[in-house]
Amino acid sequence: MKYKVTINGKIFEVEVEKAVESKDWARSASKQVMQASINPVKKYKDASSSSSEATSAEETIMSPMPGTITSIKVTEGQKVEKGQVLCILEAMKMENEIMAPRDAVISKIMVTIGTSVKAGDRLFLL
Amino acid sequence: MDIYDKLRELTALQEATKLGGGIQRITRQHENGKMTARERIDVLLDEDSFVETDTFIKGEMTDFTKADVVNLGEGVVTGYGTIHGRLVYLFSQDFTVFGGALGELHSRKICKIMDLALKNGAPVIGLNDSGGARIQEGVSALSAYGDIFYRNTLASGVIPQISVIMGPCAGGAVYSPAITDFIFMVDKTSQMFITGPQVIKSVTGEEVTTEELGGAMAHNQTSGVAQFLGESETETLAMVRHLLTFLPQNNLDKPPVFEDAPPEIEENELLHVVPIEPNKQYDVRNVLNLLVDDGDFFEVHQHFARNIVTCFARFEGMSVGIIANQPAYLAGCLDINASDKLSRFVRFCDCFNIPLVTFVDVPGFMPGVDQEHNGIIRHGAKILYAYSEATVPKITIILRKAYGGAYVAMCSRSLGADVAVAWPTAEIAVMGPDGAANIIFRDEIMKSEDPKSTMKQRTEEYREKFANPYIASAKGLIDNVIDPRDTRKTIIQSLKMLSSKRESHPQNKHGNIPF
Repeated sequence: MKYKVTINGKIFEVEVEKAVESKDWARSASKQVMQASINPVKKYKDASSSSSEATSAEETIMSPMPGTITSIKVTEGQKVEKGQVLCILEAMKMENEIMAPRDAVISKIMVTIGTSVKAGDRLFLL
Repeated sequence: MDIYDKLRELTALQEATKLGGGIQRITRQHENGKMTARERIDVLLDEDSFVETDTFIKGEMTDFTKADVVNLGEGVVTGYGTIHGRLVYLFSQDFTVFGGALGELHSRKICKIMDLALKNGAPVIGLNDSGGARIQEGVSALSAYGDIFYRNTLASGVIPQISVIMGPCAGGAVYSPAITDFIFMVDKTSQMFITGPQVIKSVTGEEVTTEELGGAMAHNQTSGVAQFLGESETETLAMVRHLLTFLPQNNLDKPPVFEDAPPEIEENELLHVVPIEPNKQYDVRNVLNLLVDDGDFFEVHQHFARNIVTCFARFEGMSVGIIANQPAYLAGCLDINASDKLSRFVRFCDCFNIPLVTFVDVPGFMPGVDQEHNGIIRHGAKILYAYSEATVPKITIILRKAYGGAYVAMCSRSLGADVAVAWPTAEIAVMGPDGAANIIFRDEIMKSEDPKSTMKQRTEEYREKFANPYIASAKGLIDNVIDPRDTRKTIIQSLKMLSSKRESHPQNKHGNIPF
């Protein structure tokens, strides 16, 4: 996977590979282990993507649907936690909370209150 | 030579078969973080329950086969065994033998257990780890694939068919899993695609990695080809075992019933989980947590079209398929992907006698040129078709918003809901108050000196008069308005009342669902 990393204003393009570890569970996998691994997650606080990990790569938060920005909850340079509400997008008569997909710093806000956005329009730069 | 020599010969042959493609290749498989075909079977099935079929099958060497290639068992282990004590048939492709490539005999082994499964009415599970067709066999390998596709189709809706992708699955090979009911993929070690990154690059110039193109997340989140994603092989196989606890053995069987396990909740928790303001979002899964046995439900397509939630769960031990709008994503609108996800789930449940419980909080179909041009009409039609066609018990609970066509689509009374109830927070109307006021009072609003305040006033009036569950209940479109705290009780009573439901449609070969 390729990432762009900015260090002291310079942009570096780095490639990150996942090391494959030799796993001995393949041989010793027991039924007990399996039973333990199916414990369900009980509460869902965060309906947005859960797969992104904390990285230093830049990321754009895009509007999932057409609507109007009715409130912005963060400022540029602010640190945010995963799941924190960044802004409210009013669409389909619903106040949709746009949340941070991971812990990050807001590097740029690209909309203002009242902006009409289309699906895929850029809202924030992390 | 006496009988013991014969037995020794048999044992030696058995031992050799167990090693598949040899120690070296097994080690390589482990180094890649993957189990061998037989290890996977051990993890998936109940202990010591596996019985192998066609153990010693072996093809003749063709002109192109290298003489030193070990080819015991033709690259696939087949047989039957039990999961939670219930019979299943399975095949497990052996990547260490010929890269798990599929040839005539490989396919014949698979077809044999599929035929048995169909005759005996038990699920088939396929563990896929194959490099593709065995090129050396030429067109025979192609027809070998065809034999499997054909059986997949005949078995569809008769026995549950589950595919687990645990390695590469490319080209024509993807279509057998695609016909089956569910596809599980292992994160990072499984891929599916019709044409690989190299072909794509040479034809369209697009550069993409194998994982980005056809990895587990790509298919679970973006394409919707796969329904389940496991972190590891063991977890994925455990998920398959878990899924089977909700399913019957075949279309004439009923799902197994478990002991009652009411969820542990505080008395008034259900009153506050859905915000009373119609424009506030919440995660509908938090509602399900408070209603189903053990607070435990098993999500299908968890990462795909998240504006609708589809899952298996139990009420008083009875299996149900739950469909719920998700206001926390895309406002819970129905769009193209949600239509596909929902209707396929409904049809699966209907095939296998699993009652449907639908939770409604939907603002409408997703507006947009993109949606219209990509055919939301023909895709959305599938929802109406699938619900109407389903003859299993259908229970509908309206939590909050139920507007317009989307209200009708979400298993309304007119589509055949057996029991339809609403929470007092429900708003059932032909459209949202703003839109309705705008049309009904258009003249008045236009002529008014202060259109905005007239609009607001009329909207409020409309909301008060029509945005409630009582108009719909007065017309018999819902049976009752219930206290949210009685929801679980209502569902259980309804399921029991409907347990002997018999409904049939006019005879036909098959309907023509709008694809």
